[in-house]
Amino acid sequence: MATVNGHTEDRYQGNTPAAAPTPKQPIPTAKSVDTQSVLKRLQSELMALMMSGDSGISAFPEEENIFCWKGTITGSKDTVFEGTEYKLSLSFPNDYPFKPPKVKFETACFHPNVDVYGNICLDILQDKWSSAYDVRTILLSIQSLLGEPNTSSPLNTQAAQLWSNQDEYRKMVEKLYKSPST
Amino acid sequence: MADATAAVCNLAILEALSGDAVQEISESYVGFCAATESLLSGIGDLSAGSEMARHVHRLCKHQLHSLVREHFLTSLEENFERNGAVKFWQHFEPYRDISISEVDRSHACDDQIQEVLCKALEEISLENQYQKKCLLVLVDALQTYKDQVLPAKCGAVTKKEFLLSKYQLMISSVLMASLPRHFPEILRWYFKERLEELSATMAGESTDHFYSQENDEMDVDGNNRMPSESSRMDIDGGLHGDFSENKLIKNIGKVVCDLRGIGFISMAEDAYASAIFLLLKAKVNDLAGDDFRSSVLDSIKEWIQAVPLHFLHALLSFLGDSFSYERSSDIKSPLASRPLSCYPGSDNLSEGLVRWQLRLEYFAYETLQDLRIGKLFEIIVDYPESTPAIEDLKQCLEYTGQHSKLVESFISALRYRLLTAGASTNDILHQYVSTIKALRTIDPAGIFLEAVGEPIREYLRGRKDTIKCIVTMLTDGTGGNPNGTGNASDSLLEELNREEENQENGAVEDNFNTDDKQAWIAAACWEPDPVEADPLKGSRSHRKVDILGMIVGIIGSKDQLVNEYRVMLAEKLLNKSDYDIDSEIRTLELLKIHFGESSMQKCEIMLNDLIDSKRTNSNIKATIGQASQTSTVSEDSGNSLDILDATIISSNFWPPIQEEVFNLPGPVDQLLSDYSRRYTEIKTPRKLQWKKNLGIVKLELQFEDREVHFMVAPVHAAIIMQFQEQKSWNSKKLAAVMGLPIDVLNRKINFWIIKGIIAETMDQEGEGHIYTLLEGSGDSTKNGGDGGSCEELLAVDDEGEGSVASVEDQLRKEMTIYEKFIMGMLTNFGSMALDRIHNTLKMFCVADPTYDKSLQQLQSFLSGLVSEERLDFKDGVYYLKK
Repeated sequence: MATVNGHTEDRYQGNTPAAAPTPKQPIPTAKSVDTQSVLKRLQSELMALMMSGDSGISAFPEEENIFCWKGTITGSKDTVFEGTEYKLSLSFPNDYPFKPPKVKFETACFHPNVDVYGNICLDILQDKWSSAYDVRTILLSIQSLLGEPNTSSPLNTQAAQLWSNQDEYRKMVEKLYKSPST
Repeated sequence: MADATAAVCNLAILEALSGDAVQEISESYVGFCAATESLLSGIGDLSAGSEMARHVHRLCKHQLHSLVREHFLTSLEENFERNGAVKFWQHFEPYRDISISEVDRSHACDDQIQEVLCKALEEISLENQYQKKCLLVLVDALQTYKDQVLPAKCGAVTKKEFLLSKYQLMISSVLMASLPRHFPEILRWYFKERLEELSATMAGESTDHFYSQENDEMDVDGNNRMPSESSRMDIDGGLHGDFSENKLIKNIGKVVCDLRGIGFISMAEDAYASAIFLLLKAKVNDLAGDDFRSSVLDSIKEWIQAVPLHFLHALLSFLGDSFSYERSSDIKSPLASRPLSCYPGSDNLSEGLVRWQLRLEYFAYETLQDLRIGKLFEIIVDYPESTPAIEDLKQCLEYTGQHSKLVESFISALRYRLLTAGASTNDILHQYVSTIKALRTIDPAGIFLEAVGEPIREYLRGRKDTIKCIVTMLTDGTGGNPNGTGNASDSLLEELNREEENQENGAVEDNFNTDDKQAWIAAACWEPDPVEADPLKGSRSHRKVDILGMIVGIIGSKDQLVNEYRVMLAEKLLNKSDYDIDSEIRTLELLKIHFGESSMQKCEIMLNDLIDSKRTNSNIKATIGQASQTSTVSEDSGNSLDILDATIISSNFWPPIQEEVFNLPGPVDQLLSDYSRRYTEIKTPRKLQWKKNLGIVKLELQFEDREVHFMVAPVHAAIIMQFQEQKSWNSKKLAAVMGLPIDVLNRKINFWIIKGIIAETMDQEGEGHIYTLLEGSGDSTKNGGDGGSCEELLAVDDEGEGSVASVEDQLRKEMTIYEKFIMGMLTNFGSMALDRIHNTLKMFCVADPTYDKSLQQLQSFLSGLVSEERLDFKDGVYYLKK
């Protein structure tokens, strides 16, 4: 147990800086006639997101490319993630919204369903995707996932095991957390 | 040295010399030396001449001409150095410390210097002449020998001239070598004094001169044989003047002559030239001064003719001038606007004089130009009155071509004096307009204007109220000056009119019936752009000076201007009690010409609303007669619809209107609803929505002893109406009845307190105020006496808030949508620079309200957010405030 713990911890520390140069999503080329409608859809999603005024979630397209967004989620109150802020990257496929966007944590997140590379295990981002979802719902889902992890199929077993001990978990989160703004 | 050369020359014949000959030569030489000595020392006595001639002859026999000449010249030089030069300079020794710049030199000293100079010059001239005579004796002796030996040779004249010029050179070099430093100063000063004296005599005389001329003409024309008394007197006066003037000129001429005699030609010329220039400069300064209301160029030219040229003319002709080899009456100065025939003998005006005139006039132009450029700021401040000064400057610049000087100096004056925080935007704009107008005169192509205008435009762009001021200037006859001091010529409205006329003229010109002749005229009128023109800015045709264009150019886009105008127009229209919009229609038509129909469309609809309102209003009034029998409205309130005029607006086309909710008094409310009912009857299915806070109320307040008339905003009228039934109100209760927040009520009621109609007291029982109507006139006269007179006052709200949302408020409102976007992007990207925010907004806010703001607008909005402490601005980037 201890060795496993130590091992994962090593991996964590070793990988935190490595998380920064994540391979950039290649800029999707507008080849299908549908690109226009995808653009429109993303535009309106941005508008809706901006107007919704939900606290704790936010996302905005990166410069010059509306298919790549940066997202920001703050940990909900009364969870172990309270007071933390995580950056995400969202990259939309050309056939969005028929396929889900690829969503990753850019900031290291110690969470049972998030691996060291920032990949998220969330059903609506995989097989349960529906075109009825949008950026806002995705972000809200991830925000709630932070407080309610699915420990039965963990990507980070150490986190899954530690989850039951919320005080220890909180300490771990604080220890590993690096504010993205610093 | 002389001996040495002689020896070299005679080397060939040395061998042929016998002992006797050597004896003879040495004897003669000694005799010659002695004779020379006695000749030079004997003052005025040439008796030693014959003695010397004999020795000369003998020496010449032995081919020793050059020895004789050299020795004689050397002795002359030595003698002159000893007797002439040293004495001459000694005269000026006491004035060594006197410098020309000394202002408080006493007059006695002046005369003394003059006397000394004359005396010294006379002495040295005498000496000089005597030595010349001695030289002539020698020349004579040489000549007579030559005549004996070679009777038919004619090299004498050249020999004599050669010797004389050599002597002249020698003298001046002796003097120059020992020239004390202060001598040129003394000369300059002398000429200056004399010229001033002359100028004074001339000034006194010139009037006489014209007089007598006039009278002469009269005599000739009228064939009047009897010379009138006054004419004779004038002629006498003129003669006297001429006499003293001639004497003066003779005096100066003698000095110049003497100076020439001793080889000081260039120094003398320098001295009187600099004196003339100094005098001219003083004269220009004196004439031009700080008065910009009259043209001084002509009087300066006249003065140049009258004083310095007259002087030079007299001087040159007195000297029997060497310049006068050519009669040059046909060479005319290009600068001389008229021929110089007004002076006697000017037909043999020498070329030198023409040169002098050109120099003087150029100098005058340059001096005046510098003077005017230095004061250009002041000149432009009094622009329409200072037109003559501008014209002068224009002429000067045409000759001197120093436009760049103007641009530089004016820009620095602007920076220093106008473009400062203390100057009001109105003043800056007025100065800008005046600058445009003034420089348009100087430089029709507008090239320098562009350079000068740029700093002003740059500065004005940084001011918030620029647009407002411009719009006021555009539409207001008073030039938008709140003090009413702006004169009509400042108004841009006038400029709009002018524009229109130009366009009409232009339309005529553009007709196709221009024949070849007109084309030729047009081609002949073409002038190249000044060299300073920036080739990138297009040719002259595109650069026509257009004041409106330049003003609009300050703002950058006409849309902003039009928008501001719309707000102002709305304010104006809403405050009208009649439907008289003639002047607004005219302004709008003019603006349409300039800005295009489409951009003024909304404004046009606003005006149409007013016209429609007038018609609808009279239609509704017309129904009163028929409807009154069936009307359910009780007439007992004494109010009929006659007293109500409505303005019906299509609110989509008007700027956002500020809403203010309050309760109107019952009868008025009744009236309004009656009006809307009638409106609906006529215009089904339309309904009226009243904006109760807009409009004006003509009010007549009747007190026990007086009547007071007011024109006030509806709120004020509503407030005062509450006092009709109840003389005294608690502020809380009144606010409740009025439906106004208590602080708003307190603010609004201030109007009546200031007018002396209502008094304010503190409530005894608790919080709040008591407002009481003042019935007696005693108090009211004390508080605001003129309230009693039947004045019409349009009450402006205390804080000056208008009924229409200002452009800034509109911008703020429009920007709030983008505020969320800005917050969103800053949340995700941390920090962003202004232009990145701008670009991102442009890229992603393409949906419903498309982002169409300028960088400046965004910047002002962001700085608003910074001051609200929602953003941080550091190192050129914006952050979210944590």
